[in-house]
Amino acid sequence: MNAVAARSLDDRLNPILVKEVRQALRGRYFRALFWLTLGVATLVGLSIVANSVRSPGAQVLGREFFMVMFGCLSAAVHAFTPFSAFLSTSAEWDENTHDLLVLSNLRPRQIVYGKLCSALVQALLYYSTFGPFLVFAFLLNGVDLAALGAILFVSMASCASLTLLGVALASLSAAKAPRVVLMALFGIGLVMFWGMSLGMSSGVVYSPQMLREPEALVMLAGTVVSILLAGAFFAAIAVARLSHEEENRSSGLRVLSVAIVISALAFGAWMSWGHSAPDFAWGLQVAALFPLAVAWLFFLTEPEPLGRHVRLHVSRNPLLAALSAPFLPGGGRGALLMLLHMLLAAFGALACMAFGPVDPVRRSAAFFGLLGVYAYAWIYMGIPAGAASFFVRSLRGRVVTRMGIVFLLPVVMLGPLLVGLVLGISGLSDPLHPFNPATALGALMDSREMTKLVELALAALTLLSLALNAPRMIQGVREVLAASAERRAKPVERS
Amino acid sequence: MALLDVRGITKRFGALKAVDGVTFQVSPGQICGFIGPNGAGKTTTMRVCSTLELPDEGDVLIDGLSVLGEPREARKRIGFMPDSYGAYANTTIHEYLDFFARAYGLQGAARRTTLARVIEFTSLGDLTEKYIDALSKGMKQRLCLAKTLLHDPPVMILDEPAAGLDPRARVELRELVKALAQLGKAILVSSHILTELSEMCSSVVVIERGQLKGGGTVADVVRSVNRATTLFLRALAGAEACERRLLETPHVLNVRREHEGVVFEFDGDLNAQAELFAQLAASGLQPVELALRDTNLEDIFLSLTEGKLQ
Ligand SMILES: Nc1ncnc2c1ncn2[C@@H]1O[C@H](COP(=O)(O)OP(=O)(O)OP(=O)(O)O)[C@@H](O)[C@H]1O
Ligand SMILES: [Mg+2]
Repeated sequence: MNAVAARSLDDRLNPILVKEVRQALRGRYFRALFWLTLGVATLVGLSIVANSVRSPGAQVLGREFFMVMFGCLSAAVHAFTPFSAFLSTSAEWDENTHDLLVLSNLRPRQIVYGKLCSALVQALLYYSTFGPFLVFAFLLNGVDLAALGAILFVSMASCASLTLLGVALASLSAAKAPRVVLMALFGIGLVMFWGMSLGMSSGVVYSPQMLREPEALVMLAGTVVSILLAGAFFAAIAVARLSHEEENRSSGLRVLSVAIVISALAFGAWMSWGHSAPDFAWGLQVAALFPLAVAWLFFLTEPEPLGRHVRLHVSRNPLLAALSAPFLPGGGRGALLMLLHMLLAAFGALACMAFGPVDPVRRSAAFFGLLGVYAYAWIYMGIPAGAASFFVRSLRGRVVTRMGIVFLLPVVMLGPLLVGLVLGISGLSDPLHPFNPATALGALMDSREMTKLVELALAALTLLSLALNAPRMIQGVREVLAASAERRAKPVERS
Repeated sequence: MALLDVRGITKRFGALKAVDGVTFQVSPGQICGFIGPNGAGKTTTMRVCSTLELPDEGDVLIDGLSVLGEPREARKRIGFMPDSYGAYANTTIHEYLDFFARAYGLQGAARRTTLARVIEFTSLGDLTEKYIDALSKGMKQRLCLAKTLLHDPPVMILDEPAAGLDPRARVELRELVKALAQLGKAILVSSHILTELSEMCSSVVVIERGQLKGGGTVADVVRSVNRATTLFLRALAGAEACERRLLETPHVLNVRREHEGVVFEFDGDLNAQAELFAQLAASGLQPVELALRDTNLEDIFLSLTEGKLQ
């Protein structure tokens, strides 16, 4: 019976998981690092215990011991494991095995899921190895059980998200050179994250009363949810990148981007109505702009025409087809999606705040402030992308346009500041000069009026961006309707 | 019905037309050779047929399924052996095949019997616990073929399977491919080793700079290339008598002596050729040998392609 159950489980396992775990446990990378971490943890732990015999202080001892153990564990699950996921995904390109995976009909999401699971299996090995040490730290006294639970909970969520980030980064480019750069950046980022996780957890361990405050549980839940949402975002990027080049790489990410706005709205509504903290409603929308901006960078610069493969899957129903237009690939339809995000975020935040204890002036300030931040996105991303829409057909054109937009932002934020400082123009030497999106945010936060001139300029430039993008937005919907009509005209094929 | 039906596919890479309106079919049991100089577009065509690239124009039907409309269904019926393929580090032959068998959705006993079948077919039995990194080129090629056979695809697309193999391994590969064709699979195989192809292919397709230069059965192509058929005649009357007689016969060109007979070209149609044979038999020359000189694929290749690279 047991053997039968084991067999059927074995059959159901994700093939990538089976392969990766085999490879990882046999590979030098995992083995060396595993024993290294364990060795360092044991040595440092012993020396702490030995030291304490001379200068007793049980409270401190437990905390110190915990921090050392968690430091090693964190290095393993937040740095080594995500990095190995990056390397294994990277190897699929280098070894030409990606084609074989496509041919074997594995879906990109199965590949990403398999990579995630195998990383989690490795992490689990670390957690179970370090478990006894952590229990020992708890027995030494001084470490709060709630703190221990919270730290481990957040660290597991982070491990999953960082792994997905690694897979997403490695899947960005099939060419080797950009991946080497990404690998270096990712490595540096992981080390920084490791430092941050040590700082945060020592904060929690050394002042556990923090966790007893009424807001603590909400904050903890909020943190874990945002970490996991970020992970889902990375997973969607990886799935899109691992999909076949001509296949629809965009729709999954587009749906997820709307889900980000909606879940931020839901959390904002909950905070506004349930906890009388209405500022969350717009604050979360501003926070959501960071992942959204990354997504827009790609959506706005996609080549316009629908791929042949996508055309064959447009809905026959013209209404459904039109509604699905913002979610189909293409730059014009990307602009349409951005418009949808903006309306959803601004009016959603307005609705969330409508029932909270907030005065109408602040409410309208939040509404217009949010529109103001979106206006910057329309100007800095919409205008160049709209102007370059004929340029992005080739891969090189796309790369140049995207890089251009990415470099534009620091230039417009820091450039005027430098000019202002050098030439002594007071309006620009303030970091919150009118070219900086944070200006709109600043005005929003302290309900400060922006100068009328800046407001007018923002409105005018946003209209310009909309006008520049309008033809391709319209064309984008038309093309979808045409594809739908084309499908209606054809007889239904056999299934 | 053709299992592999390539219908006017075009594939562009930027300004370059790597494949330009290529059309051909491969039927069950047929081995079709795919020849052309470097950069002709063979690999690109094969990748389009295997759903790895989508065509800009045209379509490919695999057992009636469009690679454009139903790529996932089509993929289940295709076995593609790429010219360069991946090996995973720290993986044995058995684990590698087991991984792909799982990826193809084979479960339980079916997976085990399939693995046993392909391992036996490709004679990898003694090596299953060897690490892939440690395999020789020929072994890797077998492994790749084994992987391609896991899901028992009716259409097989082999991109230069014989590259880098020694003569014995090549003969073995040829026998494996022939055995597969006898099982009723449609096989498209590209190669630079043309003698290799001419020995196993029932038909050929010639491509240069993305365009089809010729296709059909080997004999068809030979006839289309050499309007003139090359023949060899030996007779008891002697080479000189043969030569004299042939020079008076219509449609005969380029007569020259070779060994104890003469080689000549004949540019008449099949009726004229039959008549020639009858005349020679009736003449006093007493022919003992009248044979078609094989035009091999090498000649076809050279005469159809211009050697221009793109
Ligand atoms: N991914 C790609 N991007 C740009 N150009 C490509 C790409 N793949 C192939 N090409 C070009 O398309 C043309 C056809 O290449 P292909 O690999 O199909 O030739 P081939 O017939 O397989 O050549 P070989 O005999 O050398 O294998 C070549 O000019 C090649 O440079
Ligand atoms: Mg090739």
